[in-house]
Amino acid sequence: MYSSIGHRYLTAARYALLEQVRNRFALVLLLLFVPLWYYFGFLFTTDAPIAFKFRLTNVFLQVSAREVTFLTLGLNAITLIVGFMLFTATRKNTHFDHRLVLNGYPQPLLILAKLTSLVAVAAAVSLYASAVLYAYWRPHSLPLVWLGFFGAALCYGGLGLLLGVLVRGELEGFFLIIMLSLIDTFIQNPIGNPAANQEIVKGFPAFAPMQIDVAGGFTLVTPWLYVFISLAWLAGLVLLGLSIFWWKTRAWSVHTEPLSAESTTTSVESTALNNV
Amino acid sequence: MSQPLLQAQGLYKSYGRHKVLRGVSFAIAPGTLVGIVGENGAGKSTLLRILAGDLRPSRGKVLRSGAMGYCPQQVVLNDALTVNQHLDYFRAAYNITSLRRADELVEQLGYQAYRRDLVGTLSGGTKQKLNLTLALMHQPEVQEDALGIPSTGKKER
Repeated sequence: MYSSIGHRYLTAARYALLEQVRNRFALVLLLLFVPLWYYFGFLFTTDAPIAFKFRLTNVFLQVSAREVTFLTLGLNAITLIVGFMLFTATRKNTHFDHRLVLNGYPQPLLILAKLTSLVAVAAAVSLYASAVLYAYWRPHSLPLVWLGFFGAALCYGGLGLLLGVLVRGELEGFFLIIMLSLIDTFIQNPIGNPAANQEIVKGFPAFAPMQIDVAGGFTLVTPWLYVFISLAWLAGLVLLGLSIFWWKTRAWSVHTEPLSAESTTTSVESTALNNV
Repeated sequence: MSQPLLQAQGLYKSYGRHKVLRGVSFAIAPGTLVGIVGENGAGKSTLLRILAGDLRPSRGKVLRSGAMGYCPQQVVLNDALTVNQHLDYFRAAYNITSLRRADELVEQLGYQAYRRDLVGTLSGGTKQKLNLTLALMHQPEVQEDALGIPSTGKKER
C-alpha cells in the first residue's frame, strides 16, 4: 500500500486548489473587477445618510449611502467570482472525478477536497475584497466585514458547485449565477431597492452576510445569529450539490473475488447485444 | 483450465423501452484477447461501461478478480493539470508506490517531451496516449480499451 488516507486527501486537495489557481479568467476578474467595482461605487454615490434596518437590534441605522453601497458591491463581486470559479471547476471535471473513483480513489476524499478548495477560495477572495475595500473606506471592524464577505462567498461557492453538477450548458450556469447574485445583493441595498428594509429580503442568501457586513461597517456588535444563517445556506447548497456529485461519480459495484475455474471459457461464450 | 479474470453473468441493460443488452454472459481467462464487434448502437460501449463499473446493469452481475485498467472511449482528463500531475493523481487513485510502468508507457508512446505541459495545451493524439497510460500504469490483469491510439512517437500538436 502506498498512500495513507491523509496523503490521498492532500493529493486531491492540492490538485483541486491548483486548478483554481490556474483559472486565469477568474484571477483577472478578481484583480480588475473588484477595485473597479468599488471605484464605480465611489463615483456614482454620495455620502448622504440613508436608513438601513439592522435586524439584530431591530433599529434603523443612519448610514452613508456610499459606504453601504461599497458593501453591496463587495458582496456582488465576491459572489460572482467565487460562484463562477466553483461552477467552472465542478462542471469541467465531474467526468474526470468519476474516472478517479472508478480507478479506486475514495469518493469521500474527493468530496472533502472539493470542500477544502471551496473554503480556501472563499476565504482568499473575501480577504482580497476586504483589503481593497480598506483602501476606500475604514469600517469599524474589518474582520467582521471579511466574515460577511466570507459567508456570502461560501454560499455562492456552494451554489456554483450545485449548478456545476446540475446545469448542462456553461452559458446557462453563468447566466444563473450572474442573475442570482445581482438580484440577491442589490435587493439588500436601500438605495437600489427602497423595499430593502422589508421582511421579504430575509429569504435571500445575501441577507445574512449583508447584516454581518453592516454590523462590521457601522457597529461594534457581532451578529452570531447571521453567521449561523450564512452557514445554514452553505450547508443546504453544498449538501444538495455534493449529493448529486456523489451520485454522478459513484462506481457501481463489481464483485471482486477469486472466480471458480468451472465457469471459465477461453473465449466469449455468448453475446446478446442489441440487433445481433 | 485456469481461473477466469472477468465474468459477466446474464447482463441486461435497457434505456427506457430500448433494450440494449439481453442476457450477455461470458468468462475470460488470463492471456485472452477479446474483441467486441457490432453495429453502431449495438451496445458495445454500454457493455464495456458496465464491466468497468461505470454503468449499472438493469439485471445481471460482473465478477472480476484482480485490478482492471479501463480506458474510456472519450478522453477524460483535466486540462488544468500537467501530464506528470495526472500520473501522480492516478498513482494515488491506484494506491501504488512506483511510477515505473507509467514512465515506460510514456516513453514507449513517445510523449515524454510533454510531461510538464498542461494537458489543455496537448494535441488530441497526445491526450489519447495519456488517456491510455492512465488506464495501464498500474499493470492491471484486465484491460479494457475503447480507443485507437496513433503509433507515431513524433512530436505533434
